[in-house]
Amino acid sequence: MTEESAKSSLAPLEAAAATRPGMVSAAELEVRGHKRRRREDTLVIGAQILIGLAVLAGMYLLNATSGKLFMPRPDDVLAQSIKLWSDGTMIRALGESLTVLVFGFVISAVTGIALGVFLGGFRVFGRVLDPFVNALNSTPGAAFIPLIIVWFGLYTEAKVVLVWNAAFFPILINTAAGIVNADRELVEMGRAFGAKRAALFWNVMLPDALPSILSGLRIGAAISTVGTVIAELTMAQSGLGGLLAQAGNRFQMDKYFAVVIVLMALGTTITAALRYAESRIGRWRVSL
Amino acid sequence: MTEPLISLKQVGKLFGDGLVRALSDISFDVRPGEFISLVGPSGCGKTTLLRIINGLIEPEEGTVSVMGGKPTPGPDLAMVFQSARLLPWRTVAGNIEFVLALRGFERKEQRQRALALLGAVGLREFAGAFPHQLSGGMQQRVGLARALAVEPKVLLMDEPFAALDAMTREVLRKELLQMWARRRMAIVFVTHDIDEAVLLSQRIVLLRPRPGRIDEIVDVDLPEPRWENDPRTSPAFAALRSHLWDRIHAMARDGEALEELAGAFPMEVIEKPER
Repeated sequence: MTEESAKSSLAPLEAAAATRPGMVSAAELEVRGHKRRRREDTLVIGAQILIGLAVLAGMYLLNATSGKLFMPRPDDVLAQSIKLWSDGTMIRALGESLTVLVFGFVISAVTGIALGVFLGGFRVFGRVLDPFVNALNSTPGAAFIPLIIVWFGLYTEAKVVLVWNAAFFPILINTAAGIVNADRELVEMGRAFGAKRAALFWNVMLPDALPSILSGLRIGAAISTVGTVIAELTMAQSGLGGLLAQAGNRFQMDKYFAVVIVLMALGTTITAALRYAESRIGRWRVSL
Repeated sequence: MTEPLISLKQVGKLFGDGLVRALSDISFDVRPGEFISLVGPSGCGKTTLLRIINGLIEPEEGTVSVMGGKPTPGPDLAMVFQSARLLPWRTVAGNIEFVLALRGFERKEQRQRALALLGAVGLREFAGAFPHQLSGGMQQRVGLARALAVEPKVLLMDEPFAALDAMTREVLRKELLQMWARRRMAIVFVTHDIDEAVLLSQRIVLLRPRPGRIDEIVDVDLPEPRWENDPRTSPAFAALRSHLWDRIHAMARDGEALEELAGAFPMEVIEKPER
């Protein structure tokens, strides 16, 4: 709101500048900038379309030279996609996968942020738990699969636990780091004005940690997708991962590719949504 | 003579498990409504002294009393920092509301008071702007408004104008004097700029470095109000200025890290990285 009023107060200056001879008006400069950006956009999108076409052509080429087991024809993949979507197979699989993913991610987000805030806010606890957090975080998530199966079985609960286990640590570590690294000068400012621990925490440290927490969530979401597919492949086969295994085991590569495309779209959508959330919340940051 | 507002007696401060002595035997009083400057080269503990008065850190030796008690950070003491230290995710008005909320004002009153104070520093139309949209001088004005918002009895200022350009600094000095003339709270002003100290303050505590201790306390008896009749052309100003510089050159002759002093005065701004 005030940004606009500041801009409008500059307007007369710009107008004055434009009337001087030999100078380029602000409007003219804006048009030029616009054109330059437009040209770049065309170049980028054009190149992207070319790369996409090259991939498709490569698939046809591999299919022609090495057979459909090695590489399915793109139009077969399309036909399979239409079939899987229209007979409800894909929708059911997507639903199952999303259930595991969303539950796992939400639980890991809640627990990761809560414990991260705790570890970052209370230095002694942070120090006590640091080696354990590091040890668990450094262990490959897949190493816990047998244990999770023994404890939680093979079905949705176990899969959610696997996803939670994978996404929990990046969220925890980013949250704790964000709180610990909260700007010292701002914290001192708060203290100088008489802010007590709780007020400092809610008004200074947590907002300062927000960008770090959000990047933890973004990493956690990406890992959740991976965790979901791994769970569905290694435990009771279900969802998109199950479909993937089914198709792969029977060498139905066109079906397999149809599922891969859905996974690709899913991961991209989740990451893009969180990027968007990050930019919305961080909009007070200096825009470069 | 009125009861001192702030009283320091033989204050000493050690850092690094007692290995480094930052301050030694500092004693002076600040009277209500007095404008006092702490002046000295870098390493003389000016900022440390200010933080002790604010109650952010405690001295190992001596006693500090602020309004008769142990100093505690709070609304009676407000600090203006060298960098404005505004919360970047809050608007300009929001930053002032932050300290008003700490003081326990109602939400509705917070907004009214914040806008009134922004008016007082000439930034009312920027109430909804974010700090990064303001210039350094405007940010520092918000920092000043924030400090005034809590209606402090003592305003602590830690080189508030050091990071600003000369023109903005000049304007803000004048505004500070006018504001002080109206409100008459005590001001403890830390600076490494001798001219600034003489121009603004009624009394100057000259500190010498390693460890920080008092070299001399000088009364500045120049006609008020100083924003109307600029004292910088007066012989009294020149005399005070040259006296203080003589003392600083004497410090150097006493073998107090000559090379430090030579570089310290103009360098101090650069040494402290800005946020």
